Amino acid sequence: MIQIFLFFWLVSAFLVTKEQKSVRLIIYLGIFSLISSLCFLLFGAPDVAMAEAVISAFSTIVFIVCFEKYYTLVEEPNHLPIKAGFQKGLRKALPFIAFTVLLAVLFICFLPGGEHNTYLKDQYTARFVQDVGGENAVTAIYLGYRMYDTLFEALMLLVSIVAVVHLSWHKGGSVTDGKPSDIRDSDIAGVTVRIICPILLLFSVYLIMNGHISPGGGFQGGVMIAAFFVCRYMIYDIYDVRIHRVITLEKLVYVGILVISMYVFLLGTSTYLPIPQSVYLTLMNWLVGIKVASGFLIVFYRFIAFERR
Amino acid sequence: MHMIWVMLALLAVFIVRVVKGPSIWDRLLGLSVISTKVILIIVFFASYNQIAYLLDIAIVFVLLGFISIIFTALFLLQRIKAGGK
Amino acid sequence: MQVVGDIFVIIGTVFILFGVIGLMKFKNFYTRILVTAKIDTVGVITVIIGIAIKHGLSFFSMKVLLLMGIVMIVNPLASHMIARSAYLSGYQTEGQDDKAKTTYNEEHV
Repeated sequence: MIQIFLFFWLVSAFLVTKEQKSVRLIIYLGIFSLISSLCFLLFGAPDVAMAEAVISAFSTIVFIVCFEKYYTLVEEPNHLPIKAGFQKGLRKALPFIAFTVLLAVLFICFLPGGEHNTYLKDQYTARFVQDVGGENAVTAIYLGYRMYDTLFEALMLLVSIVAVVHLSWHKGGSVTDGKPSDIRDSDIAGVTVRIICPILLLFSVYLIMNGHISPGGGFQGGVMIAAFFVCRYMIYDIYDVRIHRVITLEKLVYVGILVISMYVFLLGTSTYLPIPQSVYLTLMNWLVGIKVASGFLIVFYRFIAFERR
Repeated sequence: MHMIWVMLALLAVFIVRVVKGPSIWDRLLGLSVISTKVILIIVFFASYNQIAYLLDIAIVFVLLGFISIIFTALFLLQRIKAGGK
Repeated sequence: MQVVGDIFVIIGTVFILFGVIGLMKFKNFYTRILVTAKIDTVGVITVIIGIAIKHGLSFFSMKVLLLMGIVMIVNPLASHMIARSAYLSGYQTEGQDDKAKTTYNEEHV
């Protein structure tokens, strides 16, 4: 079964690479990420599958908003010319690349079962309940054993948000230029999105609160909170969010993550944390969730309304 | 477990429609239907293995895929009305 | 209970098969979207009811029914937005055929 899913994955990847029109490309990208999420699920990684689903949906929204800006700013869309020689060479090399990828995939699938070194895996799966707590080993890894990785990723997200805020200026145009929605013209859509909004918020809170005993966690729940704000924008056409306060909130939350993790790891030993384990995991998941939510919210509002000031 | 095979065959048909479809809305419709099929595959998989927490992923798919489809539809409407400006 | 659930699942799959036939057979966009959207929503609901019957009264079936409720709200709305976008953009069709009249320009999307 997994071979067929991998074949679908390969086909959709080819669709993505061969397409040149923008909206078709977004649709193919959606199909690609749906199928890759299924593959992750069948490989036994539900956390990664959920993260892939969340990222694909939100990146679709950001792509759409960016295209809207692009078409509003530039009168005639002129595609960047690709050098002819490079394109021809790429087209010649494509079958060989495809064949290589196919061979690699098949090789990975039918790898003869050899003796792998499973020392780390055994260590993690045997000891994570005692060391970090919770029932989800992924949470135990990213909030316990690999805390420094998480810190660095949060720092990278913060830096990229700051870059988006400070590099996306342009002159001219009005605040409401990037407006993609006349959703309120349709009563059905307005009412139904109003029904969906609280479900989104409730489900994101559920994902964050249960991050340490079921798939999900800070990142996924945070992106769903950001999607709630996107819905809220679609219903009410809100432009006057105080974006400076959200930026300050994100920085403060990053400092909070640093302080709590340093406190725990400086005062605790490998089998003893200074605060109860579930309290620590839930608190860190909430902080990561708020940070991710404010980050994506800044990107969305930055692109949709606040480029000119 | 057999139902997953049936859904896979249907998935192939819808991918053909998405690639072939004459207008852009056909492709969008294909994306929406494919996401429904993926949800059904997840539900069958969870039902076969008796794992309840896999359904969270299906709910996330439904809620977020719907928002992205609505955004794309609104964008197409506004862009084509404006006529390339 | 198992047999009843299996019957429901098979009925739902047959509905989805009808949707596939309609999607491939009809030449008109609005016919396609009508058939696919209606039949697809009905099929998903029937399949999920079948699975809930198979699992009896448990946590799993409650969660599946929650999923069914969300699908019932969301899925028709997505089809409605696609059809509305197509219609208001001036994508009109005449009779049985797709290519009769194209008053929109798809070059720039």
